[in-house]
Amino acid sequence: MMTKDTSMKKHMGMRAANAISNTVIHIVLAVIAVIWLLPFVFIVLQSFRVENTWQVGYVIPKQWGFANYKNLLYDATKGWFGTPFAKWYLNTFITALVTAVLQTVFVLCMSYTLSRFRFKMRKALMQFMLILGMFPGMLTMIILYRVLKDLGLTQENAVPGLILVYVASSGMGYYVSKGFFDTIPKSLDEAARIDGANRAQVLWKIILPLAKPIVIYTVLTAFMAPWGDFVFARYISFGSQAGMNVAVGMWNWLQLDQIGQKYTMFCAGGVVVAIPVVILFLCLQRYYVEGVTGGAVKG
Amino acid sequence: MKKTLAIVLALVMVLALAACNGTKPDQPVTPDQPDQPSGELAGTYDVKVWCADNIVDLTKKQIEDFNANNEFGITFNATVEPVGEGDAATQMITDVEAGGDIFCFAQDQFARLVQAGALAKLGEGAANIVKDQNVPDSVNAVTVGTDLYAYPLTADNGYFMYYDKSVIPEEDIGSVEKLIADCEAAQKYFSMENETSAWYIASWFFGTGCVSEWNLAEDGVNFESVHDTFNSPEGLIAVKGMKKLLDSPYYTSASDVAGFSSNCAIVVSGTWGYTTAAAALGDNLGAAPMPSFEVDGQTYHMGSFNGYKLMGVKPQTDATKAAALHRLAQYLTSEQGQLERFDAVAWGPSNTVALANEKVQANPAIAAVVAQGAYATPQGQIHGSWWDIAKVIGTDVKEAKDEAGLQAALDNYYNAISALFTMSDAEKNAWGVIGTCNSTDGFFFTDYQDETRSNWAEDLPMEEVEPGVFRTTQAWDMEEGVEFKVRQGASWDNAFPADNFKVETAGTYYVQLVVETGEVTLVPAE
Repeated sequence: MMTKDTSMKKHMGMRAANAISNTVIHIVLAVIAVIWLLPFVFIVLQSFRVENTWQVGYVIPKQWGFANYKNLLYDATKGWFGTPFAKWYLNTFITALVTAVLQTVFVLCMSYTLSRFRFKMRKALMQFMLILGMFPGMLTMIILYRVLKDLGLTQENAVPGLILVYVASSGMGYYVSKGFFDTIPKSLDEAARIDGANRAQVLWKIILPLAKPIVIYTVLTAFMAPWGDFVFARYISFGSQAGMNVAVGMWNWLQLDQIGQKYTMFCAGGVVVAIPVVILFLCLQRYYVEGVTGGAVKG
Repeated sequence: MKKTLAIVLALVMVLALAACNGTKPDQPVTPDQPDQPSGELAGTYDVKVWCADNIVDLTKKQIEDFNANNEFGITFNATVEPVGEGDAATQMITDVEAGGDIFCFAQDQFARLVQAGALAKLGEGAANIVKDQNVPDSVNAVTVGTDLYAYPLTADNGYFMYYDKSVIPEEDIGSVEKLIADCEAAQKYFSMENETSAWYIASWFFGTGCVSEWNLAEDGVNFESVHDTFNSPEGLIAVKGMKKLLDSPYYTSASDVAGFSSNCAIVVSGTWGYTTAAAALGDNLGAAPMPSFEVDGQTYHMGSFNGYKLMGVKPQTDATKAAALHRLAQYLTSEQGQLERFDAVAWGPSNTVALANEKVQANPAIAAVVAQGAYATPQGQIHGSWWDIAKVIGTDVKEAKDEAGLQAALDNYYNAISALFTMSDAEKNAWGVIGTCNSTDGFFFTDYQDETRSNWAEDLPMEEVEPGVFRTTQAWDMEEGVEFKVRQGASWDNAFPADNFKVETAGTYYVQLVVETGEVTLVPAE
């Protein structure tokens, strides 16, 4: 009896302890979640504030409306989608989309090659790229600007210029997907080859269907980088509205002479910018997690 | 074989890329803008104009008006891009070649732009027009030596005080102390950008009579010297005044009039904030010159910078186009152009006729900036680094615990300024005496109260009388209690004695230093 009693007590104690620790954890998580979400909530609320256009000291708008969103896309003389914002958005979207497609193709080809082929200097090449990747990209900014300028790909022609910059070195980001490819058994390739498939068919028909998560991951990261880029984009669009992306264009709204008129529009712009990324992530979320972790395990 | 072919192909491609580069001219040459006879200017020109976002549409319209009405037969095919005046120099200097042909910028960037060769010199005719039609200070702002490099666009780039009439009683607006008390009583903020902007910090120093005057060298490009008295007893008074505001719990370092919507009662800002401030406060908005502050029983009216927005023309390879561009810039900055801009966005004109216009005078913000003008220091040519060096004073003062801390803030500032001018080895190695009230014209230390001299600002020369022993080049009158140090190369890396040398008996002395031991002595004159 004695023993049973004590064990009961212990049991109850553990339950209570569990409950307490769970409560604590939940409270901590809730606090973190609130802190994390607050800026987003703030931006969304501000974007619906229409009583004035500058920064104010309160969060909940006194008057709600869609005027800020309308102003982003509607120009009094040029009509719908005649605003600079619409142009910036289009620029960003084209840049991100083309980069996503090209970069994905490059990365997958690269990974497949390095994972499945054995050729002279393969190791050396990989090491070389590893070292090359350690130099910060910003170092090349000025020289890239000169080159692009001489090719006529700056200012109003910044979009193709930017695509070139983003895509150019993308082959070097093969690590994660190569890691994933390495986990796919080689015997599958061999079986396919025996059945008469060529190398390309092996990639398209065998490897890629198995590597869906990593493909999605590559597309996502390739899309996100140009979508949010500021530094390169600002340098290359250089004072020409027609060539700016959203981040650069909207940055101008925060300047001294404009912030009073454009602040709420800036918030609305921030929300609109987030929309495609959110949709993309919601649709592809489950693959994304698989992709990130999948590439890290070598089976 | 295959490999060689691949290498050859790669080389050909690289060369093809390089060839695209080869034919372009590298930098536009800077022609002295000749005043072309009008007939030769006729033609159509593609131009790029940079101006602030809120005047883009107006500027487009003005250029169309110019195209329709000018007597020279010039037609501009203009692209007007919004580039803020605050950002123009950075953008221009990034790539002058690709920058705007005509661009607007705030005056603080003038020196940088001249240095970068981004501004074309005005011809004699254009220069005379500018001199005749604009406020004299605004003409100085575009002058280097005897040459003009830009067109004044506004004369309202100064700051003053916006306040909330419902919080601040009319009779208190002249006193910093009362304003602080009012703000603390109402639990509303006094907003002035003292911690991040040298532009506003200077207000305190100008109030006590400090100056920072920078001299361009003959070449109009580099600075050769500075007369800066921020590090002086007056400067110390200024930072004491600043400290009062910085220590208030209801002080915030900002210059955005949007602060009125978030619990500010006072914002020190400029005319650009008028529309926003008026919309936020309505009838309660007041605009007044800067207040006075009190230190040790004396009051000092806070100064300000009086600055200008300017319009510049980029040097061109085509002299005809350059001349045509200058005509356009003249048109855009004329009385009519400035009044149109006042009507559209309430920018205060620099053109004297436009400034006298009734509707301009009726604007309270412009009235305040004009009233503050009596206490304002025209913003001359200032070394580009000054802004970054001086803005640190604010944070240093905020952290200072006592008077020594305040003095340290000024010392830091002074050393950074001194370091801007690279010295020759002889200057770096030379020893000098610096202390309370130095001056170069004969008196040393005796006339402590003389306002025209500044303490701890100049080094008195010393010469090597025997190896390792330095002595002042002449004997100086010294009062009891004056303090000094002997230092090398006008910096504090090598300075003796560790604590200031204090004169105990008044007299006429040479100051002598033995470098080896760091011993400083007074040698009585015969």
